Amino acid sequence: MFIITCPYCGDRDQTEFSCGGEAHIERPKQPTELSDDEWAEYLFMRKNIKGVQFERWNHSHGCRKWFNIIRDTSNDKIHAVYKMGEKPPVI
Amino acid sequence: MLSFNPPIKEEKNYNDLKIVEIEPTIKINLRSNKREFSTKIGKILSILPPNEANTSSGNESYSLLWLSPDEWLIYSNNINDTLDNQIELENNLFNEISKLNQGAVTNVSDHWVMINLKGTKIFDLLSKSCPFNFKDFKKKKGSVVQTVLNHVDVIMHNKDQNELNLFVRRSFSEDLWLWINDSARFL
Repeated sequence: MFIITCPYCGDRDQTEFSCGGEAHIERPKQPTELSDDEWAEYLFMRKNIKGVQFERWNHSHGCRKWFNIIRDTSNDKIHAVYKMGEKPPVI
Repeated sequence: MLSFNPPIKEEKNYNDLKIVEIEPTIKINLRSNKREFSTKIGKILSILPPNEANTSSGNESYSLLWLSPDEWLIYSNNINDTLDNQIELENNLFNEISKLNQGAVTNVSDHWVMINLKGTKIFDLLSKSCPFNFKDFKKKKGSVVQTVLNHVDVIMHNKDQNELNLFVRRSFSEDLWLWINDSARFL
């Protein structure tokens, strides 16, 4: 359990949010030109590192907005929260 | 009167706590990110939609709750509103907003059930199964919060000191009503 600061609503309990996985994965510009392996790489493969990770989260039981979080997966410490479309802060 | 079939048919009184469903009321959901939207709402309702998070605005007839940066909920404060009043308001908003591509207007009168809680023990009751910190919420009249209560999505509107309106989806309302009453017995 930890507290997440929604950029729209403020401090809320983690149970109000859903994690949408790794952030900043760009969709290939020409998907038809990719091989099956390259497409699978884009679609399924995630880093899932132990340490500081960039993630997408959704305030699903609140304002229902998506935003990004920089979180340390080993201790759930949140380094930064920023809105969709914003550049990730340097940490 | 609007002709809804309320799922909760009684009023309950506990020690310093009164719980009743306020039905029927008009509830309309608004979504827009256009600049002219606020002016149009101001003209129709004589209330400006709040831009500050977790707040509300209102007058004698309507309350307007902030739900997200581009979403608001209107509900009527008058339980004697007729079906004609509802149609008139919905049509006014639809013609000025939806038809002109200024946003979306959705009638959610049947979707949400409004439960009114009064008494000094409201927040003791809610704290039994809600992860939200009510410290600032209860001090500020007109505060709004969307959270979960006993794992059910709810919207809470702090009407006044020791008075709160709680909105719950109709399909979950009976379940939440039973939980509220069960928990209120132990306050």
